[in-house]
Amino acid sequence: MDELKFRRQAYGEPNSQDPEFLQAAMESAESEAFLNVLKGLDNKIEKALSIDVPDDLVAKLLLRQQLQHHHAQRRKTGFAFAMVASVAFLAGITFTLMRMGPVDLGQHALAHVYHEDKALHLDQNVQYQDVNFQLASLGNIGDMQFTEQPGKVFYSTYCDFQGVKSLHLVMQGEHGKVTLFIVPLEDRMVLEEAFADNKYKGMGFETGNTYMLLVGEESQDLNYVKNEIKQTFI
Amino acid sequence: MFDSWRNKKSSSTVSSDMVSKQRRYDSLVRALHTDIYRYAYWLCGDKHVAEDITQETFLRAWRSLDSLKDEKAAKSWLITILRRENARRFERKQFNYSDVEQEFIEDTFSSSTEDHAEQHLLQRQISKLELEYREPLLLQVIGGFSGEEIAKILDLNRNTVMTRLFRARNQLKDALEQPTIRGQSNG
Repeated sequence: MDELKFRRQAYGEPNSQDPEFLQAAMESAESEAFLNVLKGLDNKIEKALSIDVPDDLVAKLLLRQQLQHHHAQRRKTGFAFAMVASVAFLAGITFTLMRMGPVDLGQHALAHVYHEDKALHLDQNVQYQDVNFQLASLGNIGDMQFTEQPGKVFYSTYCDFQGVKSLHLVMQGEHGKVTLFIVPLEDRMVLEEAFADNKYKGMGFETGNTYMLLVGEESQDLNYVKNEIKQTFI
Repeated sequence: MFDSWRNKKSSSTVSSDMVSKQRRYDSLVRALHTDIYRYAYWLCGDKHVAEDITQETFLRAWRSLDSLKDEKAAKSWLITILRRENARRFERKQFNYSDVEQEFIEDTFSSSTEDHAEQHLLQRQISKLELEYREPLLLQVIGGFSGEEIAKILDLNRNTVMTRLFRARNQLKDALEQPTIRGQSNG
């Protein structure tokens, strides 16, 4: 190692343990003295750089991290709650929208009759005042009500037409029983004037603010009840 | 409800992971906070800023502690984070610091006795060194890194690093040997 290289290395890295460098330092007293000066300088530099560190720095660093960690955990929990809430919200919206779809009144009426079969076997002998009372709590039908008893009413209850609160009556036709649904008008309802399956016949018409749906076994009965209604439901 | 179900499922592994991560962090802080703080101080020249940078550095270290695979590399890893934090400080607060720089470095060193006078002078000289000379010196003396490692941290080649170290020591040596105007006026 030549003199110049030795001096450069002494300046660059006085504490180098490179054997070649150490060898060069031993070669002359001058070199050794030169290196010792630089080592002395390095000690001074090291001392000068060793400024005091605040006593509480470790405590502060640990505290900051603990707080941060704590917040992160809370955020995670919050996120989970947000997810659950979103899912619940979406489910709610979906359910609501599904109930908003168009409703085929005729098919629904038939399905309802089959479903509430017991209605056709009961005899509660309902008075028209009671029916009016129930009518009053339906939305959107205005002041429509029965002005007198429309023949015998066997059964009367609230029912649900795809989310629309309606009235389910069983009335006496000319021969057999007729089921009458009174449904408040709604845009999404699709009314068929006549519908049927292999057991029941049905007819639908509008009176004022309501749909009337009649379901029975004979057309005669339907027409009979229809007339009764036209005369008494105003 | 959701959380407790999730926790139940993996609570043992999660908490033991957490505990070991916490332990790693604790030892990292205790072992290296001194060097990191001093490095930060000599980088920015202000005690409070140095403390802030140190805090930020360790916080970032905590967040990405999993990416530190080799404990031996912890110091250079932290210094890399610290240098990034310091650079970020300049992006954020250009006006507050850019014109102050190192000229008015805080005068926090006691210089009451003769012994301390030389150290004080040396500290002033170090803080006056150009950053490109000062930083390799900090890495070598505080960090204890070899020329090779310094080159890697600073993204320079080794010869450049050695040249800068040479110049840094040269300037400091000159400054101590001819104690300029200040020394004469005192003497």
